[in-house]
Amino acid sequence: MKRIFKQKQHLLLLALIALIWTSCKVDKVLPVNESVKDISGNWKVLKASRNGTDLTTLVDFTQFRVKFDATGKYTLINPLPFVVNQDGNYKLDDPNYPFKIAFTPQGGQAVGIVFNYPIVGGARQLNLTFSPGCSLNSYTYTLVKE
Amino acid sequence: MRTRLHIKGKYLWSSCALILVALVFSFCHTKITGVTGPPTATVGQTINIGVDVDVSTNYFGSDTYSGNVIIAVLLPKGWKGRENMTATYTSGKGNGNMVFTPASAIAPNTNGLTWAVALKNKFQIAGNLIDDMEWVVMQTDQPLKWQNGDKFVGNCAIKLKVAADGNATSFKPAYVVAQTLDGLKDDPGVADGAPWGPDAVYHNLYKGDCFTVTGGDGDFVDFCNPQLTSIDPPKSLDNDFITLTYNNTITNTGLDNPQAVYLCATATTSDGKTLTVCEQTDKTKLTQTGAKTGLYKLTFWPHQFFGATASQTIVSMSYYITNQAGTIKVGYGGTSDPFTFKFRCT
Repeated sequence: MKRIFKQKQHLLLLALIALIWTSCKVDKVLPVNESVKDISGNWKVLKASRNGTDLTTLVDFTQFRVKFDATGKYTLINPLPFVVNQDGNYKLDDPNYPFKIAFTPQGGQAVGIVFNYPIVGGARQLNLTFSPGCSLNSYTYTLVKE
Repeated sequence: MRTRLHIKGKYLWSSCALILVALVFSFCHTKITGVTGPPTATVGQTINIGVDVDVSTNYFGSDTYSGNVIIAVLLPKGWKGRENMTATYTSGKGNGNMVFTPASAIAPNTNGLTWAVALKNKFQIAGNLIDDMEWVVMQTDQPLKWQNGDKFVGNCAIKLKVAADGNATSFKPAYVVAQTLDGLKDDPGVADGAPWGPDAVYHNLYKGDCFTVTGGDGDFVDFCNPQLTSIDPPKSLDNDFITLTYNNTITNTGLDNPQAVYLCATATTSDGKTLTVCEQTDKTKLTQTGAKTGLYKLTFWPHQFFGATASQTIVSMSYYITNQAGTIKVGYGGTSDPFTFKFRCT
């Protein structure tokens, strides 16, 4: 009886050691690469403002599109006052952590503006602030992908 | 247990209140008691403006505080106040120069806004009608020492070269006195009565009468009186969206509360061409902002509206407001002359 008890004790001890042994393991944390910000697609205006005044319902933005393609080209469809007036090339300052987007119209100078790319309601938005006319006037367009 | 906590809390609150009272630096009054200056001037003239201020402290304790007196002036943006204004001060606390408060300096008690932004938020454009104005903020060149019961009764002598943009102008100047300790704090509860009043505890706004500048070769800009038509933003180019507002409540123009009115306009381009759009369609329709408001608005992109080519820019436009049939044309001041607008950025 005593021997059985001792055996049980050993078994318990072994089980405990086994549990402790298996309970801890080194968790290997692999660095996760930040996704490349891909903005290619057709973008339309969701909201627009001029010097803080909402223009969304005052101007017909429904036909206006900015088309970014994967090769770095952009096209303005049914143009309205925008960062640039002509089609051309665009470039993000960093593919993973972009803070600026530069538009270079064909035959023109690059125009760099702050790049803001939040996720709102599960969808990416593109907030662009610029002055298409007089530099005293500031416009903000919130674009969403079609 | 409950009783013990209750007593502890009571002392805690009393101590906190005492510390707070001791810490909070409160001015008994901060007021502009008068402003002197000419009612008119000519473009480019330098005028003298005197702003009399009276600041008095009243707080718990005998600590000495250090802070600057602020004088802010509301001016049309085109006047470039920071380049065309200088000021000195004389007071019972000494004399000196007023210097421009750094543009990035935060006004206390405004949730982290700069002085210019905080003043604009609080006092807007002080009764003027065109939002093309800015608060130009100056402060005493030295911080002043303040003790309980101190007074700063003095005068700020401003020299201002008017209308740097070359435009004849009418506007209502406004002034604010404040100090860098309390900023734009709102607490009218401790006003020390007449003649100071509850709006002159930590800061005070003084609104002047309409001041008119004549001469110059630009457009006349009237910030004081409502106009039959106005364009927002007032400084625009042809690649901006502009909002044209027609106000049918100012005078009887023959347009008797219509549902909509229409724009009949001619643009002049940089290459000397004229482009006319004079039709009564949705393109030219100014929509009433609400039933019987008498205000009609149209927002459009001038470059596209007039059909200018990529190489053309529109430098000016002249226009009329018409009824739906196109039989009544309203011009400048209700006359048969057209309204005019120059596309410019300065």
